[in-house]
Amino acid sequence: MERMPQFDLRRPASIAEAAALLAAEPGARLLAGGTDLLPKMRRGIERPPVLVDLGAVRDISRIDYADAGLALGAGVTLSQLAMDGRIVHHHRAIAEAARSVAGPGHRSAATIGGNLCLDTRCVFYNQSEWWRATNHYCLKLGGDVCHVAPQGSHCHAAFCGDLAPALLVLGASVELCASRGARVIPLSDLYRDDGVAHLTLEPDEVLVRVLVPARSPALVSGYRKARARGAIDFPLAGVACAVVARNGVLAELKVALTGTNSRPILLTGTEALVGRVIDEATLSALGKLVQKQASPMRTTVTQSNYRRQVAAALAQRLVCELAGYEPSAARASMS
Amino acid sequence: MNDVSRATAGGPARDAPAIAQGRTAGQRTPLIDGVEKVTGRARYTADLPTGETLVGRILRSPIAHGVIRRIDAAAARSIPGVRAVITGEDFAAPYGVIPIARNEWPLARGKVRHRGEPVAAVAAIDEASVEAALAAIVLDIEPLPAYFSAAAARAANAVQLHENKPGNIEREVDQAFGDVDAGFAAADLVRERTFHYAEVAHGQIELNAAVATYEPERDRLTTHSVTQVPYYLHLTLARCLGMDSSQIRVVKPFVGGGFGHRVEPLNFELVTAALARAAGGTVKTELSREDGFLTHRGRPETDIRLKLGMKKSGAITAVDCEIVQRGGAYGGYGLVTILYAGALLHALYKVPAVRYRGYRVYTNTPPCGAMRGHGAVDARHAFESLLDIMAGELGLDPFAARRANLIVPPYRTLNDLQVNSYGIPDCLDWVERASGWKTRRGKLPRGRGLGLACSHYVSGSAKPVHWSGEPHAVINLKLDFDGGITILTGAADIGQGSSTLLAQVVAEVLSVPLARIRVIAADSALTPKDNGSYSSRVSFMVGNAAIRAAQEMKRVLVTAAAKRLEVHPEDIEWNGDHCRVAGTDRTLDFAGAVDAALVDTGTLTVKGSWSTPPETQGGKFRGAAVGSTAGFSYAAQVVEVVVDEDTGAVAVERVWVAHDCGFAINPLAVEGQVQGAVWMGMGQALSEETQYHEGLPLRPNMLDYRVPTIVESPPIEVKLVESRDPLGPFGAKEASEGALHSFAPALANAICDAIGIRLTDLPASPDRVLEAIQARKRRERLRASIGVSAQPDPERH
Repeated sequence: MERMPQFDLRRPASIAEAAALLAAEPGARLLAGGTDLLPKMRRGIERPPVLVDLGAVRDISRIDYADAGLALGAGVTLSQLAMDGRIVHHHRAIAEAARSVAGPGHRSAATIGGNLCLDTRCVFYNQSEWWRATNHYCLKLGGDVCHVAPQGSHCHAAFCGDLAPALLVLGASVELCASRGARVIPLSDLYRDDGVAHLTLEPDEVLVRVLVPARSPALVSGYRKARARGAIDFPLAGVACAVVARNGVLAELKVALTGTNSRPILLTGTEALVGRVIDEATLSALGKLVQKQASPMRTTVTQSNYRRQVAAALAQRLVCELAGYEPSAARASMS
Repeated sequence: MNDVSRATAGGPARDAPAIAQGRTAGQRTPLIDGVEKVTGRARYTADLPTGETLVGRILRSPIAHGVIRRIDAAAARSIPGVRAVITGEDFAAPYGVIPIARNEWPLARGKVRHRGEPVAAVAAIDEASVEAALAAIVLDIEPLPAYFSAAAARAANAVQLHENKPGNIEREVDQAFGDVDAGFAAADLVRERTFHYAEVAHGQIELNAAVATYEPERDRLTTHSVTQVPYYLHLTLARCLGMDSSQIRVVKPFVGGGFGHRVEPLNFELVTAALARAAGGTVKTELSREDGFLTHRGRPETDIRLKLGMKKSGAITAVDCEIVQRGGAYGGYGLVTILYAGALLHALYKVPAVRYRGYRVYTNTPPCGAMRGHGAVDARHAFESLLDIMAGELGLDPFAARRANLIVPPYRTLNDLQVNSYGIPDCLDWVERASGWKTRRGKLPRGRGLGLACSHYVSGSAKPVHWSGEPHAVINLKLDFDGGITILTGAADIGQGSSTLLAQVVAEVLSVPLARIRVIAADSALTPKDNGSYSSRVSFMVGNAAIRAAQEMKRVLVTAAAKRLEVHPEDIEWNGDHCRVAGTDRTLDFAGAVDAALVDTGTLTVKGSWSTPPETQGGKFRGAAVGSTAGFSYAAQVVEVVVDEDTGAVAVERVWVAHDCGFAINPLAVEGQVQGAVWMGMGQALSEETQYHEGLPLRPNMLDYRVPTIVESPPIEVKLVESRDPLGPFGAKEASEGALHSFAPALANAICDAIGIRLTDLPASPDRVLEAIQARKRRERLRASIGVSAQPDPERH
């Protein structure tokens, strides 16, 4: 068995206290649902001397609605998100993304904060200590070669959280607390394109809230996920879209991807499609945008080319669904 | 040959009672050990209370192929808390389940041949000491060229993995029956295709574990393990440890699934015992999921080239097949696997001429072995796929193509396999009707399709691995003053329900309620030897032995009751709880009969045994024993799929499966087993595959080794066809494997019906399906650009 290594467990009563613990204990890690961290500890990928358990911190699991929008505590679980009637109705992409994660057991423990801060994944990284040692480790941990692209000097581990793209297309920002103060940044600024260090969080910063601005009632959103199985799997590619369509014309379009790059990406260039009639040509242009910006590498057991293609297909299909457009019998071209 | 078969095929087995619907046999019966499992009371090997116990752990080779120059364990031995460090030098002999292929040491000796091969092991008082000791062992291994594919291992200058196997060929099979050339010459259509199958693993839920206790004062060893084959483990422990087998006791506790992973003794079981001996105490070794994938013994990566000849009627005129299996580093069951692939390729149908060439290849990957449907699954996919392709070209319905090749029992196949019962015609009729085939096929919307395939499997290998002249199965029954009947059996219930089945059989013969019966199974100190749970042998063989044991007990009881009632035994009407003198109202209850039977003799023990009749043990050619069985099960299934042409995702909407199990002694369990077989076939067909990075398994976990989830599980409608095999217990045959083989080809045929694309690789994962769809688009564009008029893909029919 791969057993849990020893660690000290701290249970702060407040975020400030948690941030102070992180500042005081180098190498300490936050523990919320634990669905990402604990398997990595069992595999010897993480060996934190101290775990700072957020279970005793009050008021981080609230869903608040106000005129300005939606505020989601970092401790809100994925099952809360998936079941919340207002989220299902008004921010469908969030509910669909939450519902697509792992299985019911994981969703009842996993949190939105944890999902946004999910570590990047790679088939050469998410393995046992013996396996990684036998493979001479890798750029992301303990080694100096990326087995995905041995010639390069860049880690290509992929970000695989499902919630981030849904929140990106809805224009979310995140509130971060450190012992010396708090700041609010756009969600996209939480990430950088580096498989080793994809989060811009400071070591003592805690993600405490996710803020989703109020949007036009005409805006509809959704999330689609390509995977080999209808449960359990991380996304081979995940696509979120937010669309306003009027009389068959795109009035607003945001598309975000996960599973394909080291960070979740909000597609650039979609504004060029705004104002266009939704037809095969528009869909084809959308597909090209996705294929150009998605850059899956050989980080999963499924071929990267498939992940790129399916991301485009899912984006096209989702936009059609959200805009109420019936693609022709020949279906959206994927090439 | 047919004349011989008619002469030798048995009528109803001697003494076997004819049974229409018994009181117990034939009744839907919840498993007698089900309560323990669903309440969590069942103790599996890792749960056993063991008292003071050392932690055992295995050190594995990081090198795929190399010469062991030195293993320095001195530092590890000096770590406080470490009680034993062992290497290959601590074993007396190599092992291997097949007596002619014992080429594996429990811990590598001389060479390592795959990454993850065990090279040393430690027993210590706690985890920390074990880890420190493993880290302190110094391995000095000189690397050799390593081969991760069959082709690389067969290349001209490849270094040999094993000294006595040139070309790294473990076993080459070359068989021909009938006039193959004439068969092809007589065909109206001849087609040849190649197929490729990924390696798959068992995915049994319970992780590997073993507990061994060595008593130095007595030189005795007791091993508890997750095995499917306690008897083979017992023999192998004696051999590898150099112990007298009388000093060894092997117990199989509850087992959480085997599927073939545990049908041969495995290194960790032998290592745990050797550690216990070296430490002079009790050692428990628990393995991880990754360890399971390194131990492997799954279905090999396989390449098949198949050529069939067919008449316009659909009748097959000839078969020519070549199969290459990447066997991994050691023998295991390998030679059996490559023989099964050929033996069961064609024996499902009446075929006049067959040529089969098989190559089992040694490679530097974890050893393959037996896996549910052993040897015959990939070959079935190729055969049933090509049947459909050719039927399409000839304008035949897939059902017609199968019906043109049916056997009429009793029948002896070309390769000397005996068929005494054959339920395929009924299976075909039922799935055709239930699936609405005639009205629906060809009229479904694009993307939705129906596919058919047939399959068969043995009810136990007619010749055991160790041919000793002993019966194939022995059952002991004990009856004492308390009136309780105890079945003592070596048969390993690994979840398939064999203990329940044996209780039903004995209750049926004795006409007593099931509650009167207890089953004690798989403890070598208590129970008679049994060859184990493999090749679907238990229901058929041990079931027959149980009938005979129960008949003997009934004879003793009836005789005693007659004596007590002062009549002749033939005057007794036996009804279990009571017996009666015929034509009178004089009765004796069961307790009275037991009292009478124990007079002068005391505790009653009787025995029943059974062996496969010689005519079912196969022909005389080399390898003829593999595939031979006393009764074949048969299955047909129709699979309905929906294919998403944008994403390549294949959804199985529904399955209709008819399985000829001879007679369903426990219909509830049989239905579950048939569904399980279909489901496991679905895993291989849709998403399961192993994959290696320079010999390191890339998917050694249940996230990347993609066993289907409940989301992918379709409704599976099961029809049990009861052909009443003349040799089976109450007519029963195998029920756990035969329906597996036909799933993958039925799926492939359904995908072709849905989108007109013929997949010749498994699994049909979304990336492969999408690639095939795009390859067709590229072909179509090319055709359009060079001005060839657009034609429908020839596969579409």
